[in-house]
Amino acid sequence: MLERLPEQPRYIGARITRLEDPRLVRGQGRYIDDLVMPGMLHLRLLRSEFAHARIAGIDASMLQERFPAAQIFTGADIGELAIRAAADLPSVQKFAQPILAQQRVRFVGEPVAAILLDDAYAVEDAAELVLVDYDPLPVVADVETALAPGAVPLFEGWRNNLFIEQTRKGGDLDAARAAAAHVIRRTYRNQRQAGVPMEGRGVIAMLDPTGRILTVWSSTQIPHLLRTYLAEELPWPENQIHVIAPEVGGGFGVKGHIFAEEVLVAWLAIRTRRPVKWIEDRREHLIASIHARDHVHTLEAYVAADGKVLGLKADITVDVGAYSVWPFTAGSDPGMVAKVLPGPYDIQGYEATFRGVATNKCPIGTYRGVGRPSAVFSQELLMDEIAAELRIDPFTLRERNLIPSFPYKNVLGFTYDEGSYAESLVRMRELLAPDIAAARASRDKPVRIGVGFALFLEQTAHGTPDFIKRRSPIETGYESAKVEMHPDGRVTVDTGLQCHGQGHETTLAQLAAEQLGVPPEDVVVRHGNTMTSPYSVGTWGSRGITLGGGAAYRAAGMLRDKLLSIAAQHLQATPDAIELADRHARIKSDPQRHIPIAKLARWAQRNVENLPAGMEPGLHAVAFVDGPADGAYTNALHAAVVEIDTKTGAIKLKRFVVVEDCGTIVNPLVVDGQVRGGVVQGIGSALWEHFIYSEDGQPLTTSFADYLMPSAPGLPNIEVYHIETPSSVTPLGMKGLGEGGAIGPAAAIANAVSNALGVPVRETPITPYRIWKLLQQKNGNEGGEGREGR
Amino acid sequence: MAIEITLTVNSVTRTLSVEPRRLLADVLRHEFGCYGVHFGCSHGACGCCTVHVDGQPRLSCLAFAAQCDGMTIVTIEGIAKGDELHPLQKAFIEEHGLQCGYCTPGFIMAMLPFVERGGEPTEADIREAMSGNICRCTGYHGIVAAVRRAIADRKSAANA
Repeated sequence: MLERLPEQPRYIGARITRLEDPRLVRGQGRYIDDLVMPGMLHLRLLRSEFAHARIAGIDASMLQERFPAAQIFTGADIGELAIRAAADLPSVQKFAQPILAQQRVRFVGEPVAAILLDDAYAVEDAAELVLVDYDPLPVVADVETALAPGAVPLFEGWRNNLFIEQTRKGGDLDAARAAAAHVIRRTYRNQRQAGVPMEGRGVIAMLDPTGRILTVWSSTQIPHLLRTYLAEELPWPENQIHVIAPEVGGGFGVKGHIFAEEVLVAWLAIRTRRPVKWIEDRREHLIASIHARDHVHTLEAYVAADGKVLGLKADITVDVGAYSVWPFTAGSDPGMVAKVLPGPYDIQGYEATFRGVATNKCPIGTYRGVGRPSAVFSQELLMDEIAAELRIDPFTLRERNLIPSFPYKNVLGFTYDEGSYAESLVRMRELLAPDIAAARASRDKPVRIGVGFALFLEQTAHGTPDFIKRRSPIETGYESAKVEMHPDGRVTVDTGLQCHGQGHETTLAQLAAEQLGVPPEDVVVRHGNTMTSPYSVGTWGSRGITLGGGAAYRAAGMLRDKLLSIAAQHLQATPDAIELADRHARIKSDPQRHIPIAKLARWAQRNVENLPAGMEPGLHAVAFVDGPADGAYTNALHAAVVEIDTKTGAIKLKRFVVVEDCGTIVNPLVVDGQVRGGVVQGIGSALWEHFIYSEDGQPLTTSFADYLMPSAPGLPNIEVYHIETPSSVTPLGMKGLGEGGAIGPAAAIANAVSNALGVPVRETPITPYRIWKLLQQKNGNEGGEGREGR
Repeated sequence: MAIEITLTVNSVTRTLSVEPRRLLADVLRHEFGCYGVHFGCSHGACGCCTVHVDGQPRLSCLAFAAQCDGMTIVTIEGIAKGDELHPLQKAFIEEHGLQCGYCTPGFIMAMLPFVERGGEPTEADIREAMSGNICRCTGYHGIVAAVRRAIADRKSAANA
């Protein structure tokens, strides 16, 4: 039975400032690098300087001479320890990534040796004295090289350089092709980039004096999964491992993986019997943490004369780098695109072939949106190109193709819950009317205005069945919460989620407070600690509020029922005649008859003789909420207004407008913040951020001087409008929204630039050079669809 | 080869012996317990480590502690008056100018003199003033609003 929204909610929907903020604005948050353990050793990793090489030897004699206290460990010492991340599918080729390279390195930045010393400065000096003798091997720096006939596989025993290649289909594509009046085929590309939280990764591990309890602090989004991975890999009894994610300085999916460094640090702490600390520096983060995107899609649409897309055929290639990541694997990004390309449109024939290609680059992992920013980029650019070719207004073309009713079963068999796709188009058309007029008026001018948009849906709060289909190690999709009321009436919510900026300490408090009749300030939300939280798979996939919040609401509801029963006996009424509000239980029709909730809480635990006959003492409850089988579908429409100087290609983002629908909103302050933050990451994807590699696989963007993060001056205020269509398949009608902001901007901005230039953009980042070049091509100065050089 | 220096940090004066290469940020964190000073990039590009040295915002990841001998330093820990937050800290909370909180101390320390300068800065002025700081969570919207609010609050407090 799913919880329904109360008729007059007190806290759900309230714009409450965050309870976690006072400590953060005072600089009192304690992040991983702020933790210091007695007798701690600092770890410095020696990382590969080559993209592909055989390790001929490692010479530590200078190290031992200069720093006799230093310890060094290499691939020869670690046995079989590895990151084993493969989906259990016949189309998948497997290779486990050793936590320190075993004889061979496959990307620049791969850990080769671990050096330990008791001083963070000295250990960097020490690491420089270790000499590694590399025999370079031919580098596979791109997809073309990897897939060329005769290309040597990067892994022993592989048939080719494909982690995965698979086809997904539904409906009748042949019928669609046969009925089509137009066939429109286009290729779209998105560059390599990354999540780049402001705090890098870091790990501390420590064995207790008995040698039994291993405590691991990690800047991770997935503490329980880390505990399970360590238990299985080290191996170590899982009830003797504690994982704690302290304050975490952003994640965005990057920290939603198990990394070689986490296993290594735990193993080193066991091996040395000393606390071991590793803090990633920014260069390490940029070259060797997790990258994202790097997609090429070729789409072929079969379109009726009226613009209706009858069928879609897709070929999806992702350069997934050197290793498969745990738990989402190398198949995550390409598989996601194949799954979501039909989008919000009623397409009746579909077939997608997707592949993850191994190259000598940093592994690709999940980053806010996971495949969807690229999928929506291709889908929405294609819709605009169809509109242009058929001379149909882009709004009208989308309206013609929209899914007709709810619930809607799409061509791959996924059922969409209620959404507001058509309403969002109507709303946006009104909001953008002056800009559309300005764009038309600027057509022949040197400075041109362009308007573009992206309509999309996002499957959020996926349930377990969705992960079973993927056969990847994530395996499950539920969330958990334990709610306890203490004898003084104060409340603790222990959530399996890990909060790294999402505001769970506030929103989960609002949900518990709603049930328990206390203000949110009376609720402490604890997270990121396997000692306090029930099992969970952590924070990712736009699932926190819907499933973790849903679990907190459900568990608090169990406590509420118990409080009402105790109050009913005392007030001589039935439980349904009583409400919990303002820290009191009171008769709804006669509020003068009341009793403090704290008193009920005290009775339940200290003076249990006051409880109704037969009632168990105690006031705590645990709830687990799994997601709906096909998830809950959030929808959004993003629009960009750009101004382009046709002489230089300079681009200015004048407006960015979001109309979004994430169902029931718990805290609009937090929702707006999530949307705006995501949008600016998406703007970075569209315009600036780019990991560039040389032909020999050397990363060229290794600092914030080269990797261009969005900064305040280049950005407009992000305008956010909400439509609230509660879902019928989730608690309280909530849907996920954490990732959505990042999904639409690249598509909306590209469409806006195309609109301004009158020539289609098909690749990101949309740099001034690329814009200038498109204009040159349009004016006939140069032919063909060239790719940008540097 | 350590040298002796004297620093006044958040009104506490201490003489200590440091290696010349030790970064100001490390000394503030580990010798003075100012863990609100954060390393975001360690190459002077993100602003997370911003503190005030003799009243001026400075990147403590690019300064050696030894260069600051005799100087007065204020970190994020030093701007509230006991339980009373600085108006800019309050404005960050009110306007949702933070999410993960990692860049926040640097933003507040970088923008504090700008807020105290007052005047009537435009949206573009405010954004330009924070161009040396990177936030990955908020998209800057809430930070810009917080700075605007803090300036307005200061003005109305002065007129009251």
